Amino acid sequence: MKISLNWLRDYVALDASNDEISRAITFLGFEVEGVHSTGAPKLDNVVVGEILTRTKVPNLKKEISLCTVDVGPAAGGVRSIICGAPNCDPGHRVPVALPGAVLPGGFTITQAKKYGHESQGMLCGPDEIGLPAGDGLLVLSGQPALGTPINQVLPPGDTVFDIEITPNRPDCQSHLGIARELAAWFKLPLNYPQEKFRGDTSGSPARPDLLSGVRVDTSEDCPLYSAFVVTGVKVGPSPDWMQRRLSAVGLRPINNIVDVGNYVMLETGQPMHAFDAKKLGGAQIVVRRAAAGEKIKTLDGKERALTDRMLVIADAARPVVIAGIMGGENSGVSADTTDLVLECAIFNKHSIRRTSRELALSSDSSYRYERGVDPHAAHEAAWRALDLIVETAGGQIVGPVFRIGGDVPWQREVVVTHDYITEKLGFDIPAAEMRAAFESLELTVTREEPTTHPARGPAWTVSIPSWRDDLDRPIDLVEEVLRLHGTEKIPAAVVRAPGLVGDDDRVALFNRRVTDYLVGHDFHECVNYTLRPAKEVAAWAPPAAVETLALANPFTEDQSHLRPTLLGGLLESLKLNQSRGVAASRLCETGRVFLERGGQKVECVAVAFVIAEATGDRKWLKRDGADFYSAKHHLAAIASSAGVDFARQPLASTEGVPGWQAGHSAGAGNIEHGWCAQIGLLNLALLKSLGIEGRVQAGCFVIVPEKLSAESTRRRFAEFSLFPAALRDLALVVDQSTVAAEVQKALVKIARAAAGNAFAVESVAVFDVYRGAGLPEGKKSLAFSLVFRSAERTLTDEEVNAALHKVQAEIATTHGWPVRK
Amino acid sequence: MHDQLSALLAKAAVEFPALTARPEFEAAKARYVGPHGELTALMKQMGALPKEQKPIVGKLINEAKGQLQAHIDAALSRIADAELAAQLGPAVDPTLPSPDLGPGTHHPLTLVREEMCRILRKVGFTIADGPEVETEYYCFDALNTPSDHPARDEKDTFYFPASARFGNVSKKIPDEKYLLRTHTSSVQIRTMLKGEPPIRIVSPGRVYRRDTTDATHSANFHQLECLYVDKNVTVRDLKALLDYIFASLLGKETKTRFRPHYFGYTEPSFEVDLTATHLPKVKKPWIEIGGCGMVDPTVFEAVGYDPEVWTGYAFGMGLERLAMLLYGIDDIRYFYQNDLRFLKQFA
Repeated sequence: MKISLNWLRDYVALDASNDEISRAITFLGFEVEGVHSTGAPKLDNVVVGEILTRTKVPNLKKEISLCTVDVGPAAGGVRSIICGAPNCDPGHRVPVALPGAVLPGGFTITQAKKYGHESQGMLCGPDEIGLPAGDGLLVLSGQPALGTPINQVLPPGDTVFDIEITPNRPDCQSHLGIARELAAWFKLPLNYPQEKFRGDTSGSPARPDLLSGVRVDTSEDCPLYSAFVVTGVKVGPSPDWMQRRLSAVGLRPINNIVDVGNYVMLETGQPMHAFDAKKLGGAQIVVRRAAAGEKIKTLDGKERALTDRMLVIADAARPVVIAGIMGGENSGVSADTTDLVLECAIFNKHSIRRTSRELALSSDSSYRYERGVDPHAAHEAAWRALDLIVETAGGQIVGPVFRIGGDVPWQREVVVTHDYITEKLGFDIPAAEMRAAFESLELTVTREEPTTHPARGPAWTVSIPSWRDDLDRPIDLVEEVLRLHGTEKIPAAVVRAPGLVGDDDRVALFNRRVTDYLVGHDFHECVNYTLRPAKEVAAWAPPAAVETLALANPFTEDQSHLRPTLLGGLLESLKLNQSRGVAASRLCETGRVFLERGGQKVECVAVAFVIAEATGDRKWLKRDGADFYSAKHHLAAIASSAGVDFARQPLASTEGVPGWQAGHSAGAGNIEHGWCAQIGLLNLALLKSLGIEGRVQAGCFVIVPEKLSAESTRRRFAEFSLFPAALRDLALVVDQSTVAAEVQKALVKIARAAAGNAFAVESVAVFDVYRGAGLPEGKKSLAFSLVFRSAERTLTDEEVNAALHKVQAEIATTHGWPVRK
Repeated sequence: MHDQLSALLAKAAVEFPALTARPEFEAAKARYVGPHGELTALMKQMGALPKEQKPIVGKLINEAKGQLQAHIDAALSRIADAELAAQLGPAVDPTLPSPDLGPGTHHPLTLVREEMCRILRKVGFTIADGPEVETEYYCFDALNTPSDHPARDEKDTFYFPASARFGNVSKKIPDEKYLLRTHTSSVQIRTMLKGEPPIRIVSPGRVYRRDTTDATHSANFHQLECLYVDKNVTVRDLKALLDYIFASLLGKETKTRFRPHYFGYTEPSFEVDLTATHLPKVKKPWIEIGGCGMVDPTVFEAVGYDPEVWTGYAFGMGLERLAMLLYGIDDIRYFYQNDLRFLKQFA
């Protein structure tokens, strides 16, 4: 909210500089978002003078005049001054800066010789004395007396502080509220505005023709409603001083009645509303919920459809105000209004907030009602407004005050001890300073008692004023003491660090481990948005799942769905780099993705990487590109960080899995059991549609966080043999479609049987895959290296060859895989 | 004999230096000293010589044998050297760049997060984690945020339809709505509900606000929060932590200051400024870096801790903002574009 310094000075005699006041506001707990000064600053040695004569200085290119100027006897009488302004004509009264004056920008005036003449000062234009720039000298109107200090002639300047008020302090949505805080900070008294006409309605008869009755149908929404009738007002512009203040804080002056309402709201925080009494149908005010379907055209010219949850102020027939938010066009004060009804009410803040939100309509009034207005200040504010109406628009307060409901009961006392506050702060503030802090904020200490332990200082019973609904508990008072003591004075200390109390979360450990692994393998870690466009999500998730990933209230179309994979983002990053001509190949990311499990979504921990063919990347020496098996290698390392032994996992086809190129990629795991993974080539058509050049190998590993939390068991050392190994090769001819793992598994089983208890089959590993000449159509050859070893002795050729023969015979009979000779 | 030996040596002196490959060498060697070699044959003639000539011829043969061996050794050494040289190929040009990729890079947000976690770990904070999809209870109710608080508005917070079900995000209240967490403070609640005090955690993580993306706003961003719950924790302890964090991060001369503020879940609450004179692109003496305060008793009540016994503080900050300050980055969107020219600058 904007706060005018001149206005504040009505209530507190601030003489601190703008910087000091800004600092005070800041450390009282309100952010100062801007400080703007208007008008001339305080200027010494600048006075009113009259130009008596003007003589052109000859032989100059520029038009320069030598003037005689009378600044009055007190300032030294008639002086001669050199001036370059075109309008330094005799008869003008202008600001004259005398030697010694310091003008804005730090420019000091001295007596000096100019253009061959002694110049005893300077005649000033508006910009030279800190006013908005204008042409030539500032010619003062109204014949001000010669020698008058210029600040007495110019309209007073002002400083406006733009302050962000925290939601817990609705009392500071007003000049009085801020003045109270500053008075406490600077230890100055606070002066409230004087009331003049309070209760002064005695002699005047009621005017039931203007207002015959007020009814509140829903006291829960409106605990207090007061209406005052004022007759015989003359609507016109409000006085200059009021207009200036309203303009300074950003409000447009309308007319004296509306302006008074705004003025009092900005002074006290209490919103008001004035009706043209003649426009109230049936001379009635009814505070009620709107009927469903009722409409009102508000002051901003828009027609608003109301619901039965919204509170309105109505006359006998129709709503005239959306209560606490905005008046209707049909009942407002206009130029020909003579009789008023002034409303001053307390509305339930939740009701106002709900209506304001539903109508997407807010105002200075609703802003204050939503945050809560002081329930006990309504009447003071109303009388203050009536004072100002009578003062600025004339008229007379007539008849009784219509007052429905009462003050919301308010009595609150909080007991707090010096010891408690010290304990919470962790450093000492003298008891007297604490008590003074309370009192300065009008938190009256009604009782001070010693506590059981005299060293611990007193206990105070603090009476909380009705505008401080935020103060409810002893801890709330700790903050008040600290605010006024100054948070900058919290003493330094050593950080308290008693031993560790836990382990890092496993999700964090996993993410760190896999990121370190991938970065160590030349990947660049990326960060992409979690929210993705529907179109992208549809490329990765089955159609039924897309809908369940949607937000109820997306903000933009391209961020409407939770991501089911990290790969969409990584491809976007790849594309961005490609389109900017930046060579990018290996990207990775960790983050949350959302998958379906058992008909529900689950939030999963995920890691993904892409390896793009470096199409545009020309190197003097070619390296082999990445392939499916590169992806498989990295995924195995990632899976191992999650406690999954990827080598033991059966791999499944990605046929029908969106995003992957079937036949060139594979899947493993199942999210129903806690984790899943895919590796290999991304779908070529998808890449093409995204405009990505070259093929992309990728991998993703997804695990539910609960699965990560399982403790890993400590590894045990396994003995190994020190005797030499016996190696034998065996190539088998199998169908093209037979996968290596199937053959390998069969071989291991048969080899173990063949070796029996005599020695161990240490490993069976593929070392060659052959397709083509020499093999029947539809067949391939898989060559395995078999390693045999004994823990007790060196194996003989005979026993190893015997075992190999058995294996060859057995595999041919059981599986029909002939040995390739 | 003497002539024969001389002729043999003369032949060898021509033959061996001409050899270039190991098989030829082995063959040549065999021709002289093999079982059927010429020298071997001459040596065999020794037996047939008269007794008095044996020492003289023997000496001659030994001399010849020694000379021949020198030829053989020289040839072998030359061939072995040539073989090693053949493994090498031409000399490298050490000035050519490596065609290999890399090195990989950590994202600047990761670097900043890890650095903060390292600093906090030294004073006993361990990392806590929690879901990004949250419920109204954990994100708002338990943190003393009233049901009609503006932060809960659909215009500021992302919600899921009432029909949405998240199997591994537990609800506290049966009919509460799922949402995307607006702060990582929900992790504090889950941690306190799950464990017993004392607690000392740091929760870095992704949060969401329904906001227009521009140079300083992003639909998702990252926060890092600290929570400390123990007996007799004071405002002064909180200030000490902030002083420690930023002195560790930015150097001992860095100062912090508190400004009173308002948050629903702490009392008293503060905004934290730090001296910014040595930060790139900052032209103010102080810059706001985060919010903090003493845990509000209401929050302790919500998680079943006795506020008469337990006290604590919480501190939170935005990681993007911190990274922007540290590195002098002026647009938050850079973090989410992943242009390699950006990513490679920080590792």
